[in-house]
Amino acid sequence: MNRQLRRLAVGLMACFVVLFVQLNFLQVVNANALKRRPDNTREIIRDFTRARGTIYSADNQVLAQSIATDDKYKWQRTYPLGDLFSHPVGYFSLKYGTSEVENVFNDVLTGRTAQQELRDLGNLFDAKVNTGDVYLTLRADLQQVARDALGDLEGSVVLLDPRTGAIFAMWSNPGFDPNLLASHNLAKADGARALYLLNKEQQPLLARAYQERYMPGSTFKVLTSAIALDANVVNEVSDFPAARAWTPPLTQTPIRNYGGELCGGTFRRVFTVSCNIPFAQTGVDLGATEMVAGVDRFGFQEPVPIDLPGAAASFFGTVADFDQDDPRLAQSSFGQNAVQGTPLHMAMAAAAVANGGVIMTPHVLSETRDSGGSVLTRYDPKPWRTAMKKSTAETLTSFMTDVVNNGTARCCMKLANGMQAAAKTGTAQLRGPTEPGGESSHAWIVGFAPAKDPTVAFAVFVKATPEVTAGVGGGIAGPVARTLVDAALAVGS
Amino acid sequence: MIARSRRFSELLLVVLAAIITAGAYTLTALGRTASLPANIGPFLGVVLALLLVPHLANRVFAPGADGTLLPIAALLNGIGYVVIARINPDLAAKQAGWTIIGVGAYVATLVIVKDVRELSRYKWTAAAFGVSMLLLPFVPGVGRTINGSRLWIRAGGFSLQPGELAKIALAVFFAGYLVERRELLAMATWKVGPLYLPEPRHLGPLVVAWMMSIGIMTMQKDLGSSLLFFALFLVMVWVATERTSYAVIGSILFLIGAYGAWTQFSHVQTRVSIWLDPWADPAGKGYQIIQGLYAFAGGGITGTGPGLGDPTRIPEVQNDFIFAAIGEEYGLVGGTAILIAFMLMAGTGLRIALRADRVFEKLLAAGLTAIVAIQAFIIIGGVIRVVPLTGVTLPFVSYGGSSLLANYILLAILVRISNSTAEKNGEVVRRRKKGAPIDPAFEATTAVPVVPS
Repeated sequence: MNRQLRRLAVGLMACFVVLFVQLNFLQVVNANALKRRPDNTREIIRDFTRARGTIYSADNQVLAQSIATDDKYKWQRTYPLGDLFSHPVGYFSLKYGTSEVENVFNDVLTGRTAQQELRDLGNLFDAKVNTGDVYLTLRADLQQVARDALGDLEGSVVLLDPRTGAIFAMWSNPGFDPNLLASHNLAKADGARALYLLNKEQQPLLARAYQERYMPGSTFKVLTSAIALDANVVNEVSDFPAARAWTPPLTQTPIRNYGGELCGGTFRRVFTVSCNIPFAQTGVDLGATEMVAGVDRFGFQEPVPIDLPGAAASFFGTVADFDQDDPRLAQSSFGQNAVQGTPLHMAMAAAAVANGGVIMTPHVLSETRDSGGSVLTRYDPKPWRTAMKKSTAETLTSFMTDVVNNGTARCCMKLANGMQAAAKTGTAQLRGPTEPGGESSHAWIVGFAPAKDPTVAFAVFVKATPEVTAGVGGGIAGPVARTLVDAALAVGS
Repeated sequence: MIARSRRFSELLLVVLAAIITAGAYTLTALGRTASLPANIGPFLGVVLALLLVPHLANRVFAPGADGTLLPIAALLNGIGYVVIARINPDLAAKQAGWTIIGVGAYVATLVIVKDVRELSRYKWTAAAFGVSMLLLPFVPGVGRTINGSRLWIRAGGFSLQPGELAKIALAVFFAGYLVERRELLAMATWKVGPLYLPEPRHLGPLVVAWMMSIGIMTMQKDLGSSLLFFALFLVMVWVATERTSYAVIGSILFLIGAYGAWTQFSHVQTRVSIWLDPWADPAGKGYQIIQGLYAFAGGGITGTGPGLGDPTRIPEVQNDFIFAAIGEEYGLVGGTAILIAFMLMAGTGLRIALRADRVFEKLLAAGLTAIVAIQAFIIIGGVIRVVPLTGVTLPFVSYGGSSLLANYILLAILVRISNSTAEKNGEVVRRRKKGAPIDPAFEATTAVPVVPS
C-alpha cells in the first residue's frame, strides 16, 4: 500500500506542476497577448483610474497631465495647450483608448516598463508613485509659431533637426481638442468625437503631417535631381533646350511647364525656376528601375520609422507600374500623376540634402524620466537611410540656395539677420483648368537653414483650396516657412 | 519531546498564518481606500483567537498530531477570507461566521472521534448518510438549483451543499468496505496482457461507484463532484488492493462514461467546447473563463497588489473563480503560494497515511487527502484552462459554508489519524496523574519500532 501512496504523491505533485506551468503561461509568457486582446478592457480601466505621468515639450511646457478628481475615475487627463499638440501628443480616453504619444509611451507613463517595475521593487514600502514622464523634442513656442503662421490655411507644417531627426514642430490645421475626448462625461466625449468624424473632408482627428500623403508637385524634383546626379545622368551644367511642351514616347499628350511657359537652360537653371520638361526627360532617361531604386533610398514606399503610430508610406510606384508607361514615369518624375508624399517625408527629403545625404530617423521622444526626475531612457539619434552622395547633397544645396535667391522662392524666403535659407517650392496640380471642377492645386515648400551647416529642415504643405490654387506654391507656403525658420533660428535650436 | 516540538512549531506557524492574513487584510484596505483599516487591531485579535482555539484543541486532544496541517488550512482560509472581504463585504461576514462554525466542528470532531477506527463500524451508516446527502437536493421543497446545478438545499435561511459532507461520509464508507474486501478484491485470476484482472464478480463495487458518479454528472449536472467521487473511489481501491488494473479499468470506465455524457448532454458539451475555445462565445458562455484569464494576465508576476485589481469583473469570483482573484491581485507569486500550500497539505496527508499502520486509517487518510488535492486540482485547473471548468469549491479558500464545514471536519479526522499513529509510536509522553494506573496499551506500544509495511 505504501508504494501506491508514494506513487499517488508523485501523481498529485505532477498535477500541481502542470497547474504551475499553465499559470506561468497565463501570467508571464502569454500575458501580453491576453492583455492586448480587443475585448480585454481591463488594462484601459486600470490605467484610467491611476496616476499617469506628464508629457513635457522641449521648452518645458506641460502638454498633458493628470489631475486628481473626486469622481470614480480619480484622475482627469488634461491638455493645457488645447488643440496645439492634438496630433503629436494625442489623447487618453476611457472609451477611445489612447493615440499618438499617449499611446506609444503608455507603458512609461503608467510606470509599466520593465525598468520602472524593477525600480519600483525597491519602493515596495513607501507610497512613491511609479509613473514616468515623457520629454518630447517638440517645442511649444515653435509649434505656436507654426500654428499662427499657417493661420486658417488647411495644411501641415513640419520642422525638424536634419542632424538628429528630432522634430521641433509638427502642426496640422485643423486639429482637435483632446480635452473633449478625454472627458469623463462619456456623452460629451462621444458628441465631440462624432463632430470631428463628421468632418470627413478635413479629418481633424488624423495626424495628417505623417499619417496622410499628398501629391508633392515640384518639391519632388529634389529627389529626381538627387537620383540623376548620383547616377551621372546629368550634371550641373547639362543643357536642356528651352521648350513649351514635350511629348514623351507612347503618347500624344504633351507635358508642359507650369503655366505653359517656355523654359530651359542648364540643370541648375531649370531646377531654380522649376521647369517640368527637363525633369520629365531626366526621369525617362533614368528609367523606371533606376527611379524606383532611387526613391527607395529616400525611404519612399514604406512607412517612415517615426516613434508615433500609423505613419503612412509615401508612394511613387513600382517598376511594374511604369512598364510600357513612359508618360506616367515622365509625369511622376516631377511629382505629378500618382506620386504622393507625407509632409513629414518631404521635410526629411530636404533634411537629407542638409545632412550630406543621410536621413536621420525622425523622432519626437527626447527622454523619459521616472517620477523622481532621473532619466530612464534617452533617445539616441540614428541614421535611417543614405539617400544620396555627399557631393550630390552639396550640389543640391547650392541649387536650393539659388531657388531662394533668384528662383521660385525669391518672393518669400529672405530670412532675418541675413541668414541664408535653401528651399524648393512646389505647386501640385490636382486638376488642370480645363478639367471638370476647375483648377485645383496644393502649395508646398521644403528646405533647410542655414544653407551652410543647417540646423533646421522644414516642409510646409497647404492643401488645395480656391485661394491656394490661385497662387503659386512658394507664394502661399513660403511666408509660413520663413516665419517659422526665423523663429527657430532665433531660439537657437 | 517530538509531540511538544510539533505543537510548538504549529503554534509558530499558526501565528505566522494569522500575521500573513492580517497583513493581506491591511494591504487590501490600503489598496482600496489608501487608509489603514480601522478595525485592524480587533481583526488580528479575532483571527489569532480563531486559530488558537483549534491549536489548543490539538494540544489537549491530539498532542502528537502533525503540526503543519492546521497552519496550512488557516493560511488558505485566511487568504480566502481577505479576498472575499475585498470582493463583497457582506459575504465576508457570513464567511467569518462559517469559519467559526468550521473551527467548532473541527474541535467537536476531535472530541467526539477518539479513535478513527470506530468510524469503520458505521461504514454502512456512512454510506447511507452519504447517498442521502447526495439525493437531498432532489427532495421537493428542500432542493434548490443554483447556476444550473441541483446541489443545494435550503433550510432556515441557509443554503447548504450537502454533497460537501457526502464526500467525507463516502471516504469513510470506502475505507471501511475496502478493509474487509481488499484481499478478496486483490485476488487476480485473469491475466490479460500486462494486467491482472480481478474476477468479474468483484468488479461489482467498481461498477456501482461508476454508475453513481455518472448519475451525479447527469442528474445534478455537477461534473466536478462526479469526477471527484469517482477519482476518490479509484484512488482508494487502488491503494487498498495494490492492483493497477483497478485504476486502469476505472479510468477507462470513466472515460467511456464521460464520452457518453458528452454525446448525450448539452451541458457537458458546452463545458468542453468552452474549454477548447472560450473565444467562440466571448460575451456569453465563454465570458466567465475569459475574464478569469484576463485577470491572470493582468496580474502578471507580482500581481496588481491586494485591493488594486478588478476581480469583480469575473462572475461568481468568490466561489469557483476565487483563484483568479488571487492570481490577479497577488500575481504568479501568490498563485504559486496557494499551489504550494495545497501540495504541502497533500504531502502531509499522504505522509500521515504512510505512517499509519492500521489499514483503515491508512485508507481513510489517503482518501481524505485525495479529496482535498483532487478538488483543488479540478477547480484551479478549470479556472486556468487545464481541464474543462466544473463547479467545485477551492477547499478552505472559496466562499461557502458547507465547504468550510466539511473541510474542517476532514482536517480533524486527518489530525486524529496522525495523532493516533504518534501515540502508537510512542511519540506522545502523557503526564500521568500521581497514582493513576499505567495505561497498559500505551505502555505496550511505546517501545515497538515501526517498520513501514
